[in-house]
This record gives sequence, structure tokens and C-alpha cells, in this order.
Amino acid sequence: MSTLLAFQLRRVGRNRQFLFFTVLLPALFTVFFTEVFGAQAGTGSAYQEYATGSMVAMMAYGGMGAALGATIRISFDRASGWLRQLRVTPVPASSVVAVDVLVGVLLVLPGLVVVALVGRFVNGVQLALPTWVALVAVLWLGSGAFVALGLLIGHALEEKAAGAAIGVVGTVLAALGGLWVPVELFPGGLRVLAHVLPSYWYAELGRDVVALGAPAPGTVLAVAAFAVAAAVLTAAVVRRRPSPAVAGRAG
Amino acid sequence: MPTRSALEVRDLTVRYGDTVAVGGLDLHLRTGETVALLGPNGAGKSTVVNAVLGLVPSTGSVLVLGRTPAAAVRAGCVGAMLQHGGLPGEARVGEVVELVRRSFGRAGRAMAWPLDDLVVNAGIEGLLGRPVDALSGGQRQRVLLALALAGGPPLLLLDEPTSAMDVEGRRAFWTTMRRLADRGTTVVFATHHLEEADAVADRVVVVAGGQVVADGTAAQVKAGTSGRTVTFTAAGGAFDGLPGVTATERSGDRVVLTTGDVEATLRALLAAGRRLPDLDVRGASLEEAVLSLTSRPRTPIGADR
Repeated sequence: MSTLLAFQLRRVGRNRQFLFFTVLLPALFTVFFTEVFGAQAGTGSAYQEYATGSMVAMMAYGGMGAALGATIRISFDRASGWLRQLRVTPVPASSVVAVDVLVGVLLVLPGLVVVALVGRFVNGVQLALPTWVALVAVLWLGSGAFVALGLLIGHALEEKAAGAAIGVVGTVLAALGGLWVPVELFPGGLRVLAHVLPSYWYAELGRDVVALGAPAPGTVLAVAAFAVAAAVLTAAVVRRRPSPAVAGRAG
Repeated sequence: MPTRSALEVRDLTVRYGDTVAVGGLDLHLRTGETVALLGPNGAGKSTVVNAVLGLVPSTGSVLVLGRTPAAAVRAGCVGAMLQHGGLPGEARVGEVVELVRRSFGRAGRAMAWPLDDLVVNAGIEGLLGRPVDALSGGQRQRVLLALALAGGPPLLLLDEPTSAMDVEGRRAFWTTMRRLADRGTTVVFATHHLEEADAVADRVVVVAGGQVVADGTAAQVKAGTSGRTVTFTAAGGAFDGLPGVTATERSGDRVVLTTGDVEATLRALLAAGRRLPDLDVRGASLEEAVLSLTSRPRTPIGADR
């Protein structure tokens, strides 16, 4: 399994677009938003508040994008016939699935860490060390919801639709979930919509950690519910798909 | 424990929805045989290959070297080139080959092929450093062959293995297959290239409508079907019912009689005092044999069977 994991990580690592959208872009946004809007907030605690909030939102944006981008790609491997090819090698199907999940989980981390470092050392965000650690850890764990959502999209959609979904789903969830513009600035209807999106609750995990030191139970429950729902749906899609590339069984 | 049987398929049935793709097919292969699966598109060749690999749900029983399909694949006993198999993007050929080689290694198949040997036999010299996305169709197919051979498996299942290869690639491919067969590998290949089946296979299995309609050496399949053809030019006349004739076809003035007894047919024609301009007598090709087994004669004007 470790051979397959290294192989898959190397493939995604070669994709410059992936690195750009999941590491570089969130990092640049963190600096940009804080420079433009944080400066207007003046100095002292108002700036700190803005800089911290913007950093947390961008960590969520990067984490979500990486989790989705790494897993929706499964659709390409189905389309190319590679998944089917793997099924006639001794690599067990369970390892293939486990590696898909692991790749998603592992690739979330670089973006989280880079944005946190940019927040700390470029924007001067001040948090206690345990809070930094908790922030990264909680957003890393929470990204599991998007790994599950990405697996669902990757298994449910055909290659072209999946390729489009990588960009579209991330962008829509980021915009409407309040990752670019805080939900407090949304008009009423959109604010209600934000509260049913996993992206809002995912960022809320981070905001909870900054404000309370740990995520609130309600926030954890919301993210966990999305994760479980996506995982259950994925299993259903995989089971129903007639194509043996994914779910074929011997009789 | 060594087994003499490479593949035992009994009463194999595969359904896609309401369509029966393979219906009650039996097939027994001894180890070391080189077997061609012939038949038109939709005959069920690929479905048989996929069922033997455990890729499609089926009923009946399939034993691959005495194991279930899934167990045989897990144990690395089977190598396969699939019709819809493929290579992963954003990877290099060498990485893919190494990944698959190691998986066979871990399954307990000693690395039957040192990498250099595998590269030469699959004909992928100089490709290991290439990105998969930069391969031509023929190169891609040879890399897929390398993956099928990676574990040195005792049974090879090849579904249209040479469809994207040029003539030279094809020749090299079959040279490798003959070498493997000499080493005792059982090779099963589905193909449209009848001349390949004729030249390479010890045994030809013709599949039509999801069933085996002929099974034997290429010579037996040819002899057991359409026999030979007698062709000549004639503006009119009826030729049904002549001795030996099994089918009559006409295109313009050209008359083609398929006969099981050339001599009797010719005697009857000549006895009738008929002139036979442009007379031509031929043995049936394997292609004609397969066509006659798997389809009705085109525009029949005489007796058909």
C-alpha cells in the first residue's frame, strides 16, 4: 500500500495547478485580503481580529480545495481505465480505496501549514502555541468531510464533469460559505444558505478554536454529519455503478 | 500442487440488465495452450475475458488454475490486457511498471522477469522515463503488455492486444507470445485479426451469441464449416441442389458456390455441359469459416444450412 501511496502522491505533486490552487492561491489571498481590508480596520485589536479571521478562512479554503481536488481526480483514473487495470493486478481493491482517502487527507496539510505560517510571519497574527497546533489539527481532521465529498463527486461524475467540478464546487462553496467575504456581510437569504453549507461549518471549526480554544460540539456535529452523509452516498454510488471499473464483483 | 487445467469455465452466464451477454458457456483450457477467441463484435469474447478475471458479476463456475478469479488475481497468477484498460496520467512509464511489478512481487510471484528482461520482451526500451501522456497508441499498448507480463504469470488473458500496434509491433508481440508459450505460459487472446489466430493459436474457439460455436485447431475449424468455394462467371441459371453445394451466392455475373465436395460439384456442372469462364477453386479462409459460423450467408440464392 505504501508503494501505491507514494505513487499517487507523486502524481498529484506533479500537477502544478493543484499546488497553485491549494497552497499558493490561499497564501496569496491571505496576504492580499489582510493588506487591503485589514489596513482599513486600523491597528491593534481590530487588525488582529481581521487578520486572524481572514487567515482562518483561507486555511479552510485551501484545505477544502486540496481535499476536493485530490479526490475528484479519481474520476480521471476511472475514465482512463487505470482503476480497471489495477483490478487485474494483485493490488487489493481495499488498498486502492484506502490510498484514495489517504492521499486526500495528506494533501490538505501543506496548504494549512503554509497559510498558517503566512498568517503568523507575514500578517503578524498572534495566537498561543497550543491554539496554533489546535487550529491546524482541527482543520486537518475536519477536511475529512471534503475528502468524502470529493470521493462522492469523483465516483458519481464522468471525467469532463468531474474536471469542471474541481474548480466549480470549491469556488461555490468558498463564496457562499463565507470563506472570501465573511457571512456577517451577506444579505439575509444568502446568510441562511451559508448555514447549510459544509464550507461554513468547516471554517467555523477554526473560528471556534481561535475564540474558545476548541470547536463547539454543534460545529463538530455539523461537519461530521456532512462527512457521514457524503461517505454513505459514495458507498451507494460505488455499489450501484454497473461499470466493473469501480465496483465489479465476481459471482 | 500442479494442475493440468489452466482454466475451467462451466455454465458461465453473464447478464447486463436484460441482455444475456454470455449464456451457459463451457471452456476448458490445458496449461501451455495458446488459444484464440474469435467472433464478431458483441459475440461475448470480452465478457468471457472479464468474467474469468472476476471483473463482471456472473453465474456458473470459473476456476483459474484451480482458484476463483478474485483469488487468482490476488495471487498474481493472471496477467491481463483489457480492452478498456488504461494507464494513469501524470505518471512516468517506469513508475507504473515498477508499481505493478512490486505488487506481483508482494503477492509471492518471484520477480520472474528482471526489469531489463521485461522491458525487452514487452518492447518498451527507452520508454521508462517517458510521461504516460506522451505515448503513442502502440507504445501505450506495449506498456500495458509489460504490466500484464510483470509478474511472469502462468496465464495470460489478452483482449484485442494488438489493435493499436503497427505491423512491426505486432510481429514483435507475437514473437514474445510464442516464447512465453514455449516456457509453458497459457495464452488466451481475443482478436479480430484472423490471420494472427491462424498463425499463432494451437486452438481456435469461435464465440457467437455468447456461446462457443466451434472449437478446435484452425485447420479443423476451417474444414468443419464452409468447406471450399467454387467461383465462376455465369449470366443466369440456378445452381441450388448441385451435389456438395451448401450455399450459393451471386454478385452480378459472379457465382460463388460453397461446397463440401469440390469434385462432385464440378462434375455436375461440367456434366450439364456448362461453360465455366474464370473458374476458381479455393479453400475457405479462417475468416470465411468464422463468418459462416457466426452469421447467415449474405444474399443467399440457394440452399443454406
